[in-house]
Amino acid sequence: MSDLDDFKATYFDECSELLTEMEEQFAAIEAGERDADRLNAVFRAIHSVKGGAGAFGFSALVGFAHAYETLLDYVRDGRVEMTDDVVTLCIRANDIVADYVKAAQTGEALPADYGQEEKERFDALARGERADDDEGGEPMEEFDLEFVPVMVNIGGGEDAPDDAGFDLGDFGGVADELANSNDDLAEDAFDAPPLEAVPGQWEIHFTPHTALYARANDPLLLFRELAVLGEMQVRPVLTAMPSLAEFEPFAVYCSWEITLISESLTEAMIREVFEFVEGDCDIAVAQVGAAGAPEASAGVASATAKPAIEAEPDTSDLLALADDEVSDLLDFNLDTDVVAPPVAAAKAEVAVATPHADAIIKPAEDDTFEEAPGLSFAELAASIVPSPVAKPKPVVAAAPPKPAAPAASSDGEDHGSKASVGVQSIRVDLDKVDRVVNMVGELVITQSMLTQQMDETLRARYTELVRGLEVLAQTTRGLQDSVMAIRAQPVKSVFSRMPRLVRELATKTGKKIKLETIGENTEIDKTIIEQLSDPLTHMIRNSADHGLESVEKRLAIGKSDTGTIRLSAEQAGGNILIIVEDDGAGINRERVLQVARDKGIVAPDVNPTDEQIDQLIFAPGFSTASEVSDLSGRGVGMDVVLSNIKKIGGSVHVRSSTGKGTRMTLRLPLTLAVLDVMLVKVGVSPYVVPLSSIVETIQCSRASFERVPSGGQVLQVRGEYVQVIDLAKRFDLQNETESDNRFVVLCEAEGSAKVALIVDDIIGQQQVVIKSLEENFERVDGIAGGTILGDGNVALIVDVQGLKTTIVHKNAA
Amino acid sequence: MTSLRVLTVDDSRTILAMLHHTLSNAGFEVLQAEDGKQGLDVLKSQQVDVVITDINMPVMDGIEFIKHVRATGQHQSLPILILTTETSQDKRDQGKAAGGTGWIVKPFDPEKLISVIHRVVH
Repeated sequence: MSDLDDFKATYFDECSELLTEMEEQFAAIEAGERDADRLNAVFRAIHSVKGGAGAFGFSALVGFAHAYETLLDYVRDGRVEMTDDVVTLCIRANDIVADYVKAAQTGEALPADYGQEEKERFDALARGERADDDEGGEPMEEFDLEFVPVMVNIGGGEDAPDDAGFDLGDFGGVADELANSNDDLAEDAFDAPPLEAVPGQWEIHFTPHTALYARANDPLLLFRELAVLGEMQVRPVLTAMPSLAEFEPFAVYCSWEITLISESLTEAMIREVFEFVEGDCDIAVAQVGAAGAPEASAGVASATAKPAIEAEPDTSDLLALADDEVSDLLDFNLDTDVVAPPVAAAKAEVAVATPHADAIIKPAEDDTFEEAPGLSFAELAASIVPSPVAKPKPVVAAAPPKPAAPAASSDGEDHGSKASVGVQSIRVDLDKVDRVVNMVGELVITQSMLTQQMDETLRARYTELVRGLEVLAQTTRGLQDSVMAIRAQPVKSVFSRMPRLVRELATKTGKKIKLETIGENTEIDKTIIEQLSDPLTHMIRNSADHGLESVEKRLAIGKSDTGTIRLSAEQAGGNILIIVEDDGAGINRERVLQVARDKGIVAPDVNPTDEQIDQLIFAPGFSTASEVSDLSGRGVGMDVVLSNIKKIGGSVHVRSSTGKGTRMTLRLPLTLAVLDVMLVKVGVSPYVVPLSSIVETIQCSRASFERVPSGGQVLQVRGEYVQVIDLAKRFDLQNETESDNRFVVLCEAEGSAKVALIVDDIIGQQQVVIKSLEENFERVDGIAGGTILGDGNVALIVDVQGLKTTIVHKNAA
Repeated sequence: MTSLRVLTVDDSRTILAMLHHTLSNAGFEVLQAEDGKQGLDVLKSQQVDVVITDINMPVMDGIEFIKHVRATGQHQSLPILILTTETSQDKRDQGKAAGGTGWIVKPFDPEKLISVIHRVVH
């Protein structure tokens, strides 16, 4: 994987978080919390999406994100009002951004005009705002042009252009502006420009302001940069230097005249060097004629490689004097570090050692300084100034800096480059976690295999070994829980997408719908969460479309005009229950049964119970919508929900109450990987039944079976009749066990209705690692998957819910 | 000679990762923070040669961050580069007014990034 791919992966990961964030914030904004913090958070999110997209050259995404961001900026500034319409538009825009991100990730192309309509509405809003301001209708597309995506070229990828976008062109605009704004200055500085310009010889007059230093810019660095451009000579101008008495430590008295010679030099190149100090200095750049720079040739000499920033020749003695005397007198700090720049890449070398500017500040405060005889301050300063570091620094700054450095850096090296701040979590590739999960799964199997093989004689003989195995079992269990916890994630990430959906649905159906979410911090395995989005979407669509009544109808039957869909998550033992509940009309059982009979799903002579009828909406090919609606239809029925949920080891149960509403319950395993089961024998084969669905086991001889008129067997358990399924018959297996020696495994699937499975023997409880049957073989009704037992045998996992529903079909067949 | 130490402050993991990669490849030591406040914390305990900061960040944005850095006496001469997708003069002016030394336009080109750093650091 190349570095770029790594970064992309990080980016898409980040995007999905940012999109969730945007959803959440808008859900709150929609609910009326229109505070600046939420808006800022959305703004930052889209800004980050845009920033990364630019780096990878996802220009369509950049374009849309930028237009959206600009609108948000307007809203943030209060220039565009946050009306309901704007909120709706933004929520729609979130979707479009998500689609663009997805397209970028998968490489699929979106239509060229995708999101164009929304972009135009951003534009219209912006125009509206401007019309109010009487500024005329500058279209928003202008903004699009401002942000030009530049491909990153990281890790030496050849596919990206070398100097992508960072040539002068990028800064040209600024440079031009600068040039214009300084035209006057240029003319002032060079009153009489020579008639004949000599190509490649430039005079620069540079006067820094105090602000330049305050922003940590440094003339020395500018000179160093300039020196790279050509042959250079720098001359300080000290005419502004005051007498010592008038000297102010924070004022700037020095300016410089620079001669720069290079044939390929342009003004823009020079201006670019001063880009950062624009506005913090006076700068004049002019091309000069040969006569205009007579002294240039002498001083420049061989300066290209190592241009010397020279002191005025006649002050060199004074400099020495200043060094000796002043440092003796006043405990000068000689900041040699500054004189010899420590940067390896430094292409300019400053040859003159000078007292640090800090020293100058001290003399100003110290009368003894006057004891340096015959040294006017201007002269002293002149000797010092050639090093551009002679900038006034506050005294406080002079105190700690360099001596403290070694201690700080040695301390820092321990943490070194890993020193990220506030790191309490790490990001791990999900693949890696998956591998660990699988390994732990195998470990669980091995552990249970070892335990199984310990028979009584062995146990008696090797007590130490037994104890060791017990510890191993405990540790394995702990390890497994810990690994699962790594993958656990709050369901919030899925729930947060639903408000938008409900809003859309309300608009499309014309119904009033309120969504309540409960328990969104319930944690569940990440892979399960990923699989949850589609089924939930479908179930909510179903509720909105079929469940909830129209406003008129609701009012007519004395309900409030707004229908409520409640989405909740809770942990129930080893399962997570996710419930979608509405307060609508409930399932029209008559109609459902009619449709099911028409479609041959239920035979004419079969009379299913209410519960079975409700469950019929999950039957393949079943759809009660008389016409395929845009909402829940989409060519798929609830059977897709069921199969999706089954795929992740879950089940769906629907319970409806006419006139009061429908409740659909998803029961999901906490994790996909390991399941607590009861191992049973049917015929000669081992089967496993998920422990979570088992209520109790009864020996057949003690169970009170009864017959129903249709010939089916039922079991009476504490006054309740339970459907009986003989697994040997159901799976067409031979069984020779005497009926009295067989067992009933009473299971409770979704909802209250139980089912009794008849098996030949009960072997025991254990944990198994689930292997998908569909992936390895094909889907089998009544079987949820397979597992490999400790002894190497394959056992099939009984799908209790599936058995219950398919029995209806089987009876019908 | 010890390598230069750069503090990068950005709320985008993608950008932080790319900065880290680019800067450490160029031989810099890299410290990272996810917002201005974290950035200030780093500066309290670590010696840093140059700071690269984003503008739009939660908790404490880049402008505030720079103001705070400049407000503390010992960081008056610390070069602070603003890394921004904003190309508008307005944002630059704000950054400069706060005390920013220079700026880099996002997305950055590694070579240019390094050269800009050298432009502001000794």
